[in-house]
Amino acid sequence: MTTNVSARRILPRGARPAAGGRAAADRRLGYALVAPAVILLLAITAYPIIANLWNSFHFDNLSYGDLPHKFVGAQNYTKMFTSTQWIAALERTLAFTVVTITLDIVAALGLAVMLNRKFVGRGLVRASILVPWAVPTVVSALLWKTMFDPRAGFVDYFLGAVHPAWSNLTWLNASVWRSWAVIFVADSWKNIPFVAIILLAGLQVIPNEVYEAARIDGATGWQAFRRVTLPLLKPALVVALIFRTLQALLVFDVIYIMTGGGPGTSTETLSFFNFYTFIDSTDFGYGGAISVVLVVMALIVAGGYVRFFRTEP
Amino acid sequence: MHVWPGNGRRQALAATTVFATAALGLAACGSSGSSAPVAASAKQTIVFAESGLGTEGQQTQTAINAFQKANPNIKVKIDVLSSDSTTYLSQLENSFTAGSPTPDVFESDVTYPAKFAQAGWVLNLTKLHPDLSQFFPTEVAAGTFNGAPYAVPWFDNPEGLYYRTDLIKTPPTSPAQVVSDAQKAMKTDPSLKEGLAFEGAKYEGAITAFLTVDSAFGGKLDPQNVHTPGNTAALTWLHDAIYKNKIAPTAVTGWQEGQVEQEYVSGHAAFSINYPFVESLATSAPVKGNTGYIPFPAGPGGTPGSALGGEMLAINAKTAHSAAAWKLIQYLTSSQVEVARAEVTGDPPSLPSAYTSALYAKAPYFQNVKTLNTYSQPRPVNPNYLTVSNDLQVMLSEVFANTKSPAAAISSEAAQIKSDASATPSS
Repeated sequence: MTTNVSARRILPRGARPAAGGRAAADRRLGYALVAPAVILLLAITAYPIIANLWNSFHFDNLSYGDLPHKFVGAQNYTKMFTSTQWIAALERTLAFTVVTITLDIVAALGLAVMLNRKFVGRGLVRASILVPWAVPTVVSALLWKTMFDPRAGFVDYFLGAVHPAWSNLTWLNASVWRSWAVIFVADSWKNIPFVAIILLAGLQVIPNEVYEAARIDGATGWQAFRRVTLPLLKPALVVALIFRTLQALLVFDVIYIMTGGGPGTSTETLSFFNFYTFIDSTDFGYGGAISVVLVVMALIVAGGYVRFFRTEP
Repeated sequence: MHVWPGNGRRQALAATTVFATAALGLAACGSSGSSAPVAASAKQTIVFAESGLGTEGQQTQTAINAFQKANPNIKVKIDVLSSDSTTYLSQLENSFTAGSPTPDVFESDVTYPAKFAQAGWVLNLTKLHPDLSQFFPTEVAAGTFNGAPYAVPWFDNPEGLYYRTDLIKTPPTSPAQVVSDAQKAMKTDPSLKEGLAFEGAKYEGAITAFLTVDSAFGGKLDPQNVHTPGNTAALTWLHDAIYKNKIAPTAVTGWQEGQVEQEYVSGHAAFSINYPFVESLATSAPVKGNTGYIPFPAGPGGTPGSALGGEMLAINAKTAHSAAAWKLIQYLTSSQVEVARAEVTGDPPSLPSAYTSALYAKAPYFQNVKTLNTYSQPRPVNPNYLTVSNDLQVMLSEVFANTKSPAAAISSEAAQIKSDASATPSS
């Protein structure tokens, strides 16, 4: 007995086949299911970006609400690019980004390599190193601020045990390099585990046979790391670098909680400068320009990484 | 497996789009503007926005309950906003920029009225015929913009110099004597960690601490002319207190009012610069009964120093309930209500007439507060004050961290302060 297997037989009795066949129908179903989330995302992200772009070409200061919202062309942008404060904040942000990424990637790579080996309690360690990342940045910044407090914190207490003169050091807002040191500690404590977990995931997909082959070819540990591990880790590295670079470029909460940009303006980053342009000066035109430039910088960075690490020919 | 037949899927997508558009459209629509003014005798509900928590919040509620009893046609809904001043300001600004008629009445820090008046968010009180001569004049000035009153003083918080009367027998009579007294006290009492505690963190409180010291050196915080010998001398005194005379620790760069109060109340500081609230907390040894509170002593060519803090009450320009709002303001700023508040919360009355012997019997330190209120200096009354404040905070922070000398910091920031204070966008 032969039967004709046709699309109609597969459908439940009474239903019509969708136009264009199953693949097209699945695609449309996909769009429909994604539509609510996409609309919400567009409302939350695209609308502010477009609004900021629009405002940046206009005069828009909330405190002068009676003045017209007039078009001023690139005035806000020229003001920004010629502002010594903005340029200084840009330099600081770029320097912070480069230093913190180098620190984080190197430390996280070491941590990931260690966690990739087998040892007793490995599961517990892998789970516990994610705790810093799970703590909200504001909370961890406040915690570290307290720990570095000369009266209430443990850092000076232990330093004082080593050398009595160090028992009374003021770290935040009393010295530029000490303020940055604390900011790096708080920022890295939170982010190194996060990068380590991403790199660990990347390490785990590298098959053992590749290492065996390298060993047979007479590669040393370091050569194996440089020639085998690093190239195969590229996809994970790109993800980690993009995350970290964007976070570092846009760093705000650590600065706000720990130093408020002090001493003076020496820890003021672009995001912080942007923040008080919006909140204190209520200048949405100028603030919009700063925001737009930040977004453009972030896009360039992300795009640059993807291009640079592209493995397909 | 198909879950949605073809037509149903399209309908679902269409429905989602319509719903989302409608939601966005509704969100984009602001509230309607103000309608005709409502008489004070009509039945109405007004919204009062304030930031008080704890005893302050409870006392406000008590006062509001009594007001509602006396005015049964007016119901007051209290809107407790953030106790963090930056967030509080943002919350108010959000309502104002949306053109909302609520809150009808709100609490405002002494540095905000000029900004609100410039933006057209607060009601010009002239037509309500306020009698502002009954309040402390410096606080009235803080609520005046372009000659018109926009806010009424609610409580008047002057910052002054606390000192330990058991360690310093006679109050110091000059800034130099503050230094020598502090150094002597540190030598005689080993439990002291510092001679002077003050607010040196990078925030608004550092400006009031500076202002407390400023007039003692003949300085005046005029944003058009910051680089004066008086201001430089005041800043140098504070800088030297940390780095030359060593009566204040570098830790002050992390201290706000709370930490300074803890240092003083736990007996670690011989002197401290702070607000009247410390008096109500100095209730145990070693500070109990051993606390003096004076304006910062004047040096040659200066006047006793105190900085003006406090809160004012203002009316939303878009409200239809200005008559009822004004009644509430008059009630809250009446002598009896202010005294009751002062006794419970320690918020000093803004009316000189409220400083009665009955109040002194309950809390003798209010005598000191009244003296301070006669000397308190306001911060610049300027619509751009928040931006000016940022510049001042940068200047003070550089000096307290010793990354710039006082003279260099003042001279480098003065031009920026002047331009930010006088900035008016050209139409």
